[in-house]
Amino acid sequence: MSDKERSELAFLGRAWVFGDNIPTDHIVASHLVFKPMEEMAKHVLESHNPDFPLQVQPDDILVAGVHFGQSSGRAMAPKALQATKIGCIVAESFARTFLRNAYEIGLPILECPGITSLVVDGDQLTVDIPSGVIRLPSGDVAQARPTDPFLLAMLSAGGIIPLVRQRVEAGQSLI
Amino acid sequence: MHLVEKIMAKSSGRSHVEPGDVVVADVDVALLHDLSSYSTGRVFDNEVGGSIAQPERVVMVFDHIFSPPGEEQANVLQANRNFARKHGCTVYDCGNGNLHHVAMRNGHIRPGVVVAGSDSHSPVHGVMGCVSVSLGNNSYAGTVLPYGKAWLRVPHTISIELVGQPPPGTTPRDVALWLVGQIGEGGANYAALRFEGEYIESLGFWDRWLFPLMAVDVGAKAGYMEPDAETLRMADQLGVDTSETVEGDDDPPSEHWRFDVSSVPSVIAFPPTIGNIAPISDYAGTPVQRCELGGHGGGRTEDIAQAASIMAGASKHPDVLFNVVPSSRAVFTESLANGYVEQMHLAGATWFPSSDGSNQAINMGAMAKGEAMLSTQARNYPGRNGSKDSSMFLASALSVAASALNGRITDPREVL
Repeated sequence: MSDKERSELAFLGRAWVFGDNIPTDHIVASHLVFKPMEEMAKHVLESHNPDFPLQVQPDDILVAGVHFGQSSGRAMAPKALQATKIGCIVAESFARTFLRNAYEIGLPILECPGITSLVVDGDQLTVDIPSGVIRLPSGDVAQARPTDPFLLAMLSAGGIIPLVRQRVEAGQSLI
Repeated sequence: MHLVEKIMAKSSGRSHVEPGDVVVADVDVALLHDLSSYSTGRVFDNEVGGSIAQPERVVMVFDHIFSPPGEEQANVLQANRNFARKHGCTVYDCGNGNLHHVAMRNGHIRPGVVVAGSDSHSPVHGVMGCVSVSLGNNSYAGTVLPYGKAWLRVPHTISIELVGQPPPGTTPRDVALWLVGQIGEGGANYAALRFEGEYIESLGFWDRWLFPLMAVDVGAKAGYMEPDAETLRMADQLGVDTSETVEGDDDPPSEHWRFDVSSVPSVIAFPPTIGNIAPISDYAGTPVQRCELGGHGGGRTEDIAQAASIMAGASKHPDVLFNVVPSSRAVFTESLANGYVEQMHLAGATWFPSSDGSNQAINMGAMAKGEAMLSTQARNYPGRNGSKDSSMFLASALSVAASALNGRITDPREVL
């Protein structure tokens, strides 16, 4: 991984804290699934925090509880979050469809059991995806689970589609 | 190796895999519904392009929409048909039924292979002794459509052993919902669930179906039964090729969870999520304005038979709209042959076209503030069926019919 790729996977931003078991239905509601992405992004997670879609800033960090993104495997849920230009998501755990979709669209995520008891909404965090290190306002550090090298390569490429293109053009196998 | 490991090894050209390995597997069949056909088609056209490797193995079922209620939905279906025609994909258009039932009933699912599904309930096909996993739009557009392949991380296998027989009035649907409550949402994240034990073995194919169906609700990647005589009986009935059938080795699972079902009551899943399970008696008396047989968790011939056993010769409560949605045309045909169509019709129920029914209220099933529905659907998140201040409750077909009879949530043992 180059220094540039490494710096693109590090974030400093405001933490937005959400609860457990949030379904993709509440990230992008069913009545929005045929709308343009900009429209979805304006309503993302609004039923849990109406300020979030209005006030979220580039590089902000979404912190969530267990099984984030459960229910429908709709990729527009992580895509709408990506469209808000958040830096990354740190959750206690993810639903596997959401986890897969996030990597496949190049949206950085980390699994960090215990994170919701360490972070308060509004905290400034720094998150480094390759090392999994999360710096808290107190100066303390939380350590996320390591990311599989294949998934890290997918993030660096910007998702599964550019990764496949790169590797096909280079005459390499996907893994 | 366990069954999932063996199939992932075989389909990726390896002699051995272990949990945690990442493989690139050949996909035997890829399932898309109307919503995911549309979103996947857009990603493929805009970001990938070119041709589809094995278009006949890409099976599209238009099931959330059974007859477009507006121009937006008509445009989605038109785009899907144009995409399928251009590439030669297999299409089951509106009115054929629910994605998973249509795929199974039409012989697209066979033992021992990898099935890729866009819908989150795709693990259901593990009932046929295959590996069936949900993938997102970009996996489809990036690898499944152009190369017929998918990257997969090999999951660990958890044995779910169910023993005993439940009391009268408790159906397999109750046991499956109860199990979600026992394991908990996200309680089996990333795992493959192997359903087994004397209770599972005693069930017919379409009742077994309800168990891998709920794998997603506990966070699992896959769910399955080892293929046995019942699996092969159904494969034979559906005309499915069984030459690739695989059986798992007798390795110890990563975990073994044993559940005794002999005192499981009729249950209800109450809002806001499916993991909220209680005996239905806790909610008895709650008024409902809608009752529905249909969706991923219902609409089987077994469900309609259960309901007809209560409704035959009776009348639904006047304050309830009681909607019946067969999961496939085959179910409607069977319901006609068995007299259920007439019995339910005369009891005041309304038959809807084979489809997903009220799933996400794309085509039917929206509720106003304060309304409540009891259904066999698979999800109960607030706002998924109209007003966020309406309530969706999930239960068995017996419970839905008993409640339609009384206009309030009813323990089916009251009317049996």
